[in-house]
Amino acid sequence: MTLLPGSHRLLVTWALLMGLTVVSMLSARLDQATQWQALPLGSAGLVLLASGFKAHRVLMVYLNLRIAGPAWRGAFVGLLGLTLALIAGGYLVARWMG
Amino acid sequence: MAFPDASATRVPNPGWGPLSTLPGNPLMWVLILSELLVFAAFFALYAWQRALDPALFDAGQRQLDPLMGGLNTLVLLTSGLFAALAVQAMAAGRRRRARQWLVITLVFGGVFGTIKVLEYADKLAGGLTPETSPFFGFYYGLTAFHFAHVLFGMAILALVTWRLSRDNVETATAFWHMVDLIWVLLYPLLYLLR
Repeated sequence: MTLLPGSHRLLVTWALLMGLTVVSMLSARLDQATQWQALPLGSAGLVLLASGFKAHRVLMVYLNLRIAGPAWRGAFVGLLGLTLALIAGGYLVARWMG
Repeated sequence: MAFPDASATRVPNPGWGPLSTLPGNPLMWVLILSELLVFAAFFALYAWQRALDPALFDAGQRQLDPLMGGLNTLVLLTSGLFAALAVQAMAAGRRRRARQWLVITLVFGGVFGTIKVLEYADKLAGGLTPETSPFFGFYYGLTAFHFAHVLFGMAILALVTWRLSRDNVETATAFWHMVDLIWVLLYPLLYLLR
């Protein structure tokens, strides 16, 4: 049986996505005083973790991938992990080179 | 409360072989997978070029407005909620409500587009073009490619608002959520990770 996410789950997910976006922005220290300084690694990690979790929620709830078979869920989550690893790896290499 | 599908079956798409357990239109998932791979390849290219000249990319990033990007993230993710509510309304047989949610989704898509255009206008007025530096080549290239998806998504949403059916709405909103998903990854890459 195909189950769509109910209103409550959708609203909770939306609130989580909003909250994590704000967490990302705060972690990236967008206040004027520190805006142009390199992020501490912990903050960069938090930005990436929040983004990864947001993408996971969009996949599982908005796109309803949670009802798909484990292989498909694993494939998409794996691709998401690979993409985040690319972003994180590129960022770390740039910091190391800089 | 979860909404059971009217045509209750054990898998969402019987007869689609390995794609049968995917929700909605399986071909849309093929598109989503291919788009994610394309963007992942661009992200790898961006990482490689950034590693070659980190100072130049840092200087480029300083010219962006992360608050505008964050605002657009909030707008796009909220439009995704309305798109999902439209699918839910269709499943419950509430066509008029589904149409209303789709129109609101389109309005939020329009807000995203307006903010993006304002951002482009600001950068171009400041003399920052795709040829200014490799960073701005990536900035304009990646965001414009994504923006093209937003516009195409809005066209599809408008079409299914007119030709309303459960399959149409599920397929169009899946495309819209893919646009959400890519922006969620693009935003930190370009605006936040410095």
